Amino acid sequence: MTLRRTFTISALVIGLGMIAAPAVFGMFSRAPDGAAMIDDFRPFMTPEKVTLFRGYLAEIDAADTESRLLLEPALTQFGVIDSAEYQSKFASLAGLNESWPAIEADMTDLVDRMADNLDSYAAVDALPNFKLFPWFFVAPGVLIAAVAAAVLVADRRGASTKVLLRLLAGLGVAVVLAPAVFQMFERAPKGGDMIEDFRPMMTVERVRAVQGYFITMGAAEGQLRNGVLPLAAASADLPSDQFVSITQFSEDWPEIVVEFAPMISAMSDNVDNFAGVDALPPFAMFPWFFVAPGLLVEVLAILSERSPKAYLGIENVATI
Amino acid sequence: MKNHRFRLMATALAATALLAGACGDDASGDSGGASIDETTTTAAPLSTESTATTVATTTTEAPDEPDLVPEPAFEGELAGLFSIAEASCGDAEVSGSYFRMLQPGGSATDGPFVPNTDSTCVDPSFTPLLPGSDGGFISGGFQPAPDPPFDADGNGLARSVTAPTPFFGVAFAVSSEDEGAAPLITATEGTLTGELSGWTANYATLVFGQGTPKPDGSLPGLTSELSGSIDPATGAYVLDWASQIVGGSFDQFTGIWHLEGVFVAEG
Repeated sequence: MTLRRTFTISALVIGLGMIAAPAVFGMFSRAPDGAAMIDDFRPFMTPEKVTLFRGYLAEIDAADTESRLLLEPALTQFGVIDSAEYQSKFASLAGLNESWPAIEADMTDLVDRMADNLDSYAAVDALPNFKLFPWFFVAPGVLIAAVAAAVLVADRRGASTKVLLRLLAGLGVAVVLAPAVFQMFERAPKGGDMIEDFRPMMTVERVRAVQGYFITMGAAEGQLRNGVLPLAAASADLPSDQFVSITQFSEDWPEIVVEFAPMISAMSDNVDNFAGVDALPPFAMFPWFFVAPGLLVEVLAILSERSPKAYLGIENVATI
Repeated sequence: MKNHRFRLMATALAATALLAGACGDDASGDSGGASIDETTTTAAPLSTESTATTVATTTTEAPDEPDLVPEPAFEGELAGLFSIAEASCGDAEVSGSYFRMLQPGGSATDGPFVPNTDSTCVDPSFTPLLPGSDGGFISGGFQPAPDPPFDADGNGLARSVTAPTPFFGVAFAVSSEDEGAAPLITATEGTLTGELSGWTANYATLVFGQGTPKPDGSLPGLTSELSGSIDPATGAYVLDWASQIVGGSFDQFTGIWHLEGVFVAEG
């Protein structure tokens, strides 16, 4: 076999490798999963939402503090209800008081992870649609393989391969440049960072925990609104308007539910999608999945063009 | 279809009775007149539950008509209104129509259930249901949510099946959406089965398919087939089913639905 033929066959193999890569990495199923996840998180990955969520957490924190430090002591101090009865009658509120520090820490962590990745999310969202990713490998792979095969056929027939080899080299250059055109060197590592940061929050266990937080918070809010505040209002010594944080919490609770529920939905519905994306090769490597084969194809095409048709192979001697 | 048969049979019987009464008038006016009056009165409300009773009664008075042997009342496909009886849950005993939400990993009998602190029941795991403007749900037809289905606070606005129901500070509303086949309840010797695929809860701007089976025919997780019973004489019914939420913010939670009331065949 001639060295020239070896170069061309190598280019052909690289083309076939690019065609096969998406299937090998499961990209045909995982890339659409990633696209769905990017779409689902879009409404929440904004500075406004992060600020809104932080505000709600601060509001619930204030209501929790007020209920512990002001409301309960006032009710028991004025003899409206004794402490034991308060704890038993308003068990859901007591549950929030007890678990709020942990809930707040966990929810704050979620919101922080969102906040920390706003730029990364925007970078990933600016990439071409994830659904197209497998075809970014397949399409140039098909072209490279086809041109390399054409070179081999032309060589065998003794026809000129100059144009074909230059076309092959051009395809290699195009594949090398693609990541730069799509700013993948900058964006892909950010995607990798986001995947890394989201990993702890995109689990079934974490989703279940957050669902549970809302049961705790919602049940406590209901008891405050339907039970504790009316009890305080019934007491002449306890004007209910002094519990401003609790009142605010209750007023905003429906809004809090409406705002947070879709975010929990996005988390819940994308646990599997995230796992699929997370199973892909590291995002930071993706630009090199284009550069490396593109560069190789380019070099092989140039070497092939510069190699004599008859170098070592007997079959080609006859064609000289 | 069977209601039509009922009506045809009842009409035929009424006509026969009228004819017989008219003929008998010549012979014995008083008794014949009483018979006509009685038959006319009972046969008139053919489209209501009394229809079935009437047919049954009339048929038993005409044993010589082998072709008119009655089918049980409220038998077969029941098209009409399943009225929703308001829950009574002021003490530990709960009756009437209610909803419970089972937490992930729980069991329909033992819970744990989500405590709805907006519930008026003593046990807040029960959320009482109140009849909507239609009085209940219609078997054989849809009762879709309005457009838009929510107000600015995320409260569901559908109110034909049940009244919007406070749940965790936000009201959920039940609608019967066109998800394929219309709701269909079938009675077989007092046992109810059927499909309620389009039963939907609208809550906090989210839409939860809460029917059974799911629109694709599946029964995921704890989703159960619809089961229940109906009193052939009165139409008093009980329906139960569970529908697990698949996906979304309440993924793996299961709605437990219990409806009681009276079935009224469509008129």
